[in-house]
Amino acid sequence: MSAVLGIVTIVLVTAGAVLFLAGTLGLLRFPDTLSRLHAISKADNLGLGLIVLGLLPQAASVTGGLKLICVWLLAQLSAATASQLLGRAVYRGRREP
Amino acid sequence: MTGAAAADDLPLTALLGRGLCLLLLWVVMIGPAPADLPFGLVASAAGVWASTRLWPGGGTLSLSGIVRFTLRFLAQSVVAGLDVARRAFAGEPDLRPGFATCRSTIPVGLALDSACAVMSLQPGKLPVSAEADGTLHIHCLDLREAIGAQVAADEAAFRRILGPEPRHG
Amino acid sequence: MADVLTAAALFILAATAVALFRVLRSGVVAERMMAVQLLGTGGAAALLLLGSASGSAAASDVALLLALFAAFSCVAFVIGAAEPEAEPDPPEERP
Repeated sequence: MSAVLGIVTIVLVTAGAVLFLAGTLGLLRFPDTLSRLHAISKADNLGLGLIVLGLLPQAASVTGGLKLICVWLLAQLSAATASQLLGRAVYRGRREP
Repeated sequence: MTGAAAADDLPLTALLGRGLCLLLLWVVMIGPAPADLPFGLVASAAGVWASTRLWPGGGTLSLSGIVRFTLRFLAQSVVAGLDVARRAFAGEPDLRPGFATCRSTIPVGLALDSACAVMSLQPGKLPVSAEADGTLHIHCLDLREAIGAQVAADEAAFRRILGPEPRHG
Repeated sequence: MADVLTAAALFILAATAVALFRVLRSGVVAERMMAVQLLGTGGAAALLLLGSASGSAAASDVALLLALFAAFSCVAFVIGAAEPEAEPDPPEERP
């Protein structure tokens, strides 16, 4: 059982790491500021989500697992708000130079 | 309660419910040691006070709507991340970024702002401006996709959590 | 297991560092602000991985704080950059 959980952890954590790489690549390669914002807000967020999901079987206690989920929820919330606010700021800057 | 002006339109049960949720969050994060609980109570009370300012009730939320919305949101976040990853790993970055404009049917204000925040984690879309009449300007990664239909589907899912409140317009 | 988690943490740190280098050199203010978001998610992910690899539960507290600070700094940036008319909030009332 724990071997299966270990494999689940490794697969999910690896997938998460790949998504962080994708976020960085998108940031480097996408042509404009707003597209780059898409890249880091969406890819990095899914990356963190997969890593949290992958670490859950390794959590020492129930509260430890709940705390992991809290980190993810908070990061989701902050990513949604932050990309939203940054997007609006960029857009305003474009229209009223 | 304390007679705060903003809390007048919120029933006591709603305030207690919010406080209980915040206290639960506190216990999860800090731990259930009795010595810490007074701080948790103070923090939850402060949280409830702030929430009356930021979220002054109005309208009910539908639990089944929230569950369905959450499931859809999680699935869509995965799609969004994979979508960005596919475009980023493509030999030539595969996108046609640009702006789309559409008319939102969600009530302007907190509801629309939340819907925009949610939409910014959904595939390919990033709302950048919401006007007072509900017009949304959305930055899209790929204008070749059916943006209008996607936004309508997102809004329909979001609307379900707003509860059975009769609205016209 | 611990080795895999540590390796993943280092990989994510490297990816985040490259992205940070890129955004901090940018001329666009909002792009420099993305550094905060990068640190929030990438830093939190690396901390969680390292904490799990070393068995130290406190790492998740730090990750929680990082995510929280990222949100606060972005809000502060936008409020600071916004024109007065863009913020339709009523003037704050003092008790």
